[in-house]
Amino acid sequence: MKPKKPRRKGRIEDFVPPEGVPIAFNLASRGTRLGAQLLDIVITYGSITILVVLLAWSGVVGGAPLFALFLLLTFFVRIPYYIFAELIWNGRTLGKRMTRIRVISATGQRLTPHQIVARNLMKEVEVFLPISTLFGANDLNTWAGVSMVVWMFFVLLVPFLNRNRQRLGDMIADTLVVEMPKAVLLPDLTTDKKPLRKLFHFNPEHLEIYGRYELQTLETLLRNPPKTQDQYDRMRAVARTIIDKIGYTENIAPIDQWDFLMAFYEKQRGFLENRHLFGDSREDKFHAEVADGLEAGNSGADSKRSKMERNKTP
Amino acid sequence: MSAFEPSPEQQTIRSARFRQERENGWLRLEKLIVTAERSGVRGLSYRETLELSSLYRQAMNSLSAARALSMDKALLTYLEQLCARAYLVVYAPQESIVPAILRLFSHGIPQAFRRSGVALTIGFLAMTLGALVGFTLFQRDPTWFYTFVPAELAGGRTPQASADFLRDTLYGTTGNAADLLTVFAAYLFSHNTQIAILVFALGIFAALPSFVLTFYNGLLIGPFVAIFVDAGLGFDVFGWLSIHGVTELAAICIACAGGAQLGLAVLIPGQKSRRSALREKGRDAVKLMILAGLMLIVAALVEGYLRQLVQPTEWRLVIGWGLGIFWLGWLMLAGRHGHAQ
Repeated sequence: MKPKKPRRKGRIEDFVPPEGVPIAFNLASRGTRLGAQLLDIVITYGSITILVVLLAWSGVVGGAPLFALFLLLTFFVRIPYYIFAELIWNGRTLGKRMTRIRVISATGQRLTPHQIVARNLMKEVEVFLPISTLFGANDLNTWAGVSMVVWMFFVLLVPFLNRNRQRLGDMIADTLVVEMPKAVLLPDLTTDKKPLRKLFHFNPEHLEIYGRYELQTLETLLRNPPKTQDQYDRMRAVARTIIDKIGYTENIAPIDQWDFLMAFYEKQRGFLENRHLFGDSREDKFHAEVADGLEAGNSGADSKRSKMERNKTP
Repeated sequence: MSAFEPSPEQQTIRSARFRQERENGWLRLEKLIVTAERSGVRGLSYRETLELSSLYRQAMNSLSAARALSMDKALLTYLEQLCARAYLVVYAPQESIVPAILRLFSHGIPQAFRRSGVALTIGFLAMTLGALVGFTLFQRDPTWFYTFVPAELAGGRTPQASADFLRDTLYGTTGNAADLLTVFAAYLFSHNTQIAILVFALGIFAALPSFVLTFYNGLLIGPFVAIFVDAGLGFDVFGWLSIHGVTELAAICIACAGGAQLGLAVLIPGQKSRRSALREKGRDAVKLMILAGLMLIVAALVEGYLRQLVQPTEWRLVIGWGLGIFWLGWLMLAGRHGHAQ
């Protein structure tokens, strides 16, 4: 049986665009979405207030036409604004643009007008009804009022109850709200480096110990060169642990430890990538036990692995 | 190793070479994405657009290959994010709005209407039942009027009102200034559409709230008509209500039908999961709601202007029911052939 890869919280990892290569999105946090919604409300109601005040003050339009305009605008900023904004800006309203989030279609296809209309029509019960009940003159002390509040509380709870953080409108429209992806290309540690002061020699048995997880933990460490004494100490501790663990016998001066880690990273990565290509994927340092465990048909290594994930030490 | 000096080619590991060969393409793609994000794909030249799509496909390839080749976490994260960003630019909606809207009116809405028989029955039944119940209860005991109709809505049109006063409200000519009519129409439109959207959206809670709200709308109408009937103004109130009501009340019923579609998907999902049933029924439901919104615009114009300007009951009947026949004809006959998509 193939063990199922646990899904990281707040992430969509099986999003398959038409090209068939799954890509990942970070779901927008509920707080960000609430912030975007509040921003939208402030922007829309704020701007119609300013517009109406300016028009009244300038005297271009006044009296009844101005009032009619005001009525139409207050209608427009409720549902139609969100529909038009998301149609024009491909799933982004002004508030969403500011908080850097956007709507995508969960199907992997492009966002359709139907989806945008559907998800925003439901805003009436999910956003505006609670607001107007709360701030309206409704008496909430009757049993009807209390049940109304309880019911709306559950509606607001919906995004917390499913792992895709969808509200009801998202479910009908099959949409997701995600963070705008940010792409930053960091240098490759194996090519972008100063020439080493010393050559290190690694034997194959030195590289047999660790797996992908430890390698990538080391990568994170190497991407932040130590600046404070604490960080130096941590780097030294890691270097000593690795030297002990892989049984590296040559003596390494403290000043060479950083270079050692760099050299080890490159060799270990090349080695693991080769093994991976040949069908021998080593997820972490328990890879040998996993291989044994598969043969013996038990999953003792799994519990060890989960313990390691908790400790997060290489 | 020390015996001979390896060439730089051999010194770098495979995944690093993989990256060196493709890096420039990724950076170029990133530049194009930034332009497209700022000013849309329109901001790109023809050549750049072609480049964008081919670079996008290459980046997707790189991602797929890098997952097999590289253990450089930073590189994998970068490629994933780059592809996600490129995907959002490449798969932006491309449909132009006008043909999409025309197709919606010629095929989408009429077909959705014809598919929604059960839901429409529920919607119209809610309103009719409400009106009948309201009317009957009022006939038994006129004090029901005060239970159903809020005082601010009645505007003096109570069971105690004189027949002359009631006649005046039907044919009133006070405050007919064009300005006020505009305000009235704007008010009617925004108020009624808000109600319709609410009726629609409440449908997701097992359709019951939609039904209740529509039923209540009917409940308001029943006693209201009854006081005019009692004053011997039955025919007049029928005309007064018909000119806009045929369209307006039908729109509320249709919005309720849209809500009922959602509710039915939740209540009776059949073989599908509730979520996918909702998704599927949602297509027709949203179209019904758009139809309701359109009808409410027309109804507001008729109620705001025409009802005040057209006084003879016969003409009011002709306009109101003529509109009704027009809606029905469109919805039953349009888009018989071909698909909405």
